[in-house]
Amino acid sequence: MTKYEELFFSALRIRMVEEKIAEIYYSDVIQSPVHLSIGQEHSSVGVINHLEKDDLVFSTYRGHANYLAKGGDLKLLMAELFGKFAGFAKGKAGSMHLASKDVGVMGSSAVVASTLSHSVGAAYALKLKKDKNIAVVFFGEGATGAGVYHETLNMARSLETPLLLVCEFNDLAIFTKFNDVHSYQIENHAHSYGVETERVDEGWDLLEIAKSAKEVINKIRSDSLPRLLLINTCRYSQHVGPGDDSDLGYRNLDSMQKFKSLDPLINDMNLIEKFSSRIAIEIEEAIEFAENSPFPDPSELLTDI
Amino acid sequence: MIEKITFREAILKSMEEALDTNINSIILGQGVTDPTRIFGTTKNLVEKYGKKRIIDMPICEEGMTGFAVGASLGGLYPIQTHIRMDFLLVAMNQIANTIAKYNYMYGGMFQVPMLIRAIVGRSWGQGPQHSQSLQSIFAHFPGLQVIMPATAADVINAYSFATNNYKGPVLSIEHRLLYDFSFSSTISKDPFSSYIIKKGRDITIVATSIMVEESIKAANWIEERSNIRVEIINVLNVSNINYECIFQSLTKTRRLIVADTGWTRFGLTSEIISAVSQSSKIDLKSKPSSIGMTFSPCPTSHSLEDHFYPNMGDIVNNVYSQIYGHSHTFEIPSLEYCKKLGKKFKGPF
Repeated sequence: MTKYEELFFSALRIRMVEEKIAEIYYSDVIQSPVHLSIGQEHSSVGVINHLEKDDLVFSTYRGHANYLAKGGDLKLLMAELFGKFAGFAKGKAGSMHLASKDVGVMGSSAVVASTLSHSVGAAYALKLKKDKNIAVVFFGEGATGAGVYHETLNMARSLETPLLLVCEFNDLAIFTKFNDVHSYQIENHAHSYGVETERVDEGWDLLEIAKSAKEVINKIRSDSLPRLLLINTCRYSQHVGPGDDSDLGYRNLDSMQKFKSLDPLINDMNLIEKFSSRIAIEIEEAIEFAENSPFPDPSELLTDI
Repeated sequence: MIEKITFREAILKSMEEALDTNINSIILGQGVTDPTRIFGTTKNLVEKYGKKRIIDMPICEEGMTGFAVGASLGGLYPIQTHIRMDFLLVAMNQIANTIAKYNYMYGGMFQVPMLIRAIVGRSWGQGPQHSQSLQSIFAHFPGLQVIMPATAADVINAYSFATNNYKGPVLSIEHRLLYDFSFSSTISKDPFSSYIIKKGRDITIVATSIMVEESIKAANWIEERSNIRVEIINVLNVSNINYECIFQSLTKTRRLIVADTGWTRFGLTSEIISAVSQSSKIDLKSKPSSIGMTFSPCPTSHSLEDHFYPNMGDIVNNVYSQIYGHSHTFEIPSLEYCKKLGKKFKGPF
């Protein structure tokens, strides 16, 4: 596979997993709120493909793409969504709390902005232990309104931590557009902390994201200082749930249409054809695995407190 | 020969031990390297262990507490200090939503070992936002070990166990007034469990933190003046109370006073009395009493503050009342006498 095909495969795999989740969601086999990454897979794949296994990723409740891109096991994810004991967290986490310690997915939170500060502490730990690894935190532009975002930027820079902050800018904090309720511009704001930024406007462009991410990550690895990468992206689905709620009139349909018209996961028919049947088999196997797994024993209720 | 050690010295000693025994342990907090060194409990540490391990922090309780989560996930053992427990409310999202749940939420994948030190102020005009004992709030959440050391030995044993052996988050509530108290006993107890600190026969006082000291003084007062013998249990671990210890004592004494530093409503005193009242093993001879802060915010004026805090006089009165009825005529220590317990503390904070 070429580099592009690798990125495409990884992104298409996430897209197809989430489309399958949406497809089966109303059968109620998944009883957990799902926040789908559909439309935003490119940023996860473009960034995470440059990470090593021991680089640590901190995610959000919209985290399926982060988890899968970092190498989180699909079967364990599916079993987790089904609430089964074989899930990566024995069914106690569900969709909003994704983690896989073995591949450095360190958790995600249903409370927006909660993992930001975790990522600085982890980056500090990596530096103190001279591990040469970095920490990466994904967040939406809406999380930047939280006070702890400021605290995170400040600690990250003043303690000189090897941290990549990835802002997935989809301009939808549930329904709210960024400029309606924020008085700053994210990059300028970061600059005032001494944090360098990079921006990718073409959130559908896997190679462009990968190129920028590579440059930024290389800088962090060489000088151990934090950087912010802002990726303009597009959430296709509703905030939570499997559907399309664009009929509610809150979003800019033209820009979503434009994004979709450029999205290779929709338009590159050759590669879709090349990879999709193989991915579909893997997904069916994961669902079968989840279906055939037992639910946790009632004793699990009081385990691991 | 057992040497005397103050509560403050015990904390500092525990910090040094944690830093010596685990090269991945760090101390972080606003002021840990400042000239006063968290009331002396981080004295000389930055000189000895360096700025990378003794980390001064900006004033950002939530960010700092989240930082500790990440540091723990990254393989460090963070010890964080909050010079007033009241500030922990700013970090509540991290403590309640993250730290308490991390192990459970991920099915045991992550254990986030860490020690959070929170200091309770009392007296000398600390006022409504510098004086709160919020143990019941934190003990309400499954997933936290909330401890309240009452002696230097408690500190040494519990902190050593927390930093070397225990694989989870520990919140320790240190009472500022205890810092200058000297203790001779360094007998090792179960580091995270309640224990009998004074044996007695006629009534059991279950107490936390400085209320253990108040109870001991009350017991001494009573025992010098009557044949009553008071048993005192130091709760120590308020989130996982050793009820076996309490029930055993009550089987003997069949009288109960619970004395806590916090408010009694929805508090630790109600929790313990509830558990005792639901136990079929215990048949009390008199109605149990709860002693805690008056149900008001803490006033700053010392004239009001004197009435706000529970003291040994309240305990003495409750002991006599349970045994001889409310119309007993035994002498109760005066307010001036009771105040001597904290007389060494002259501020400023």
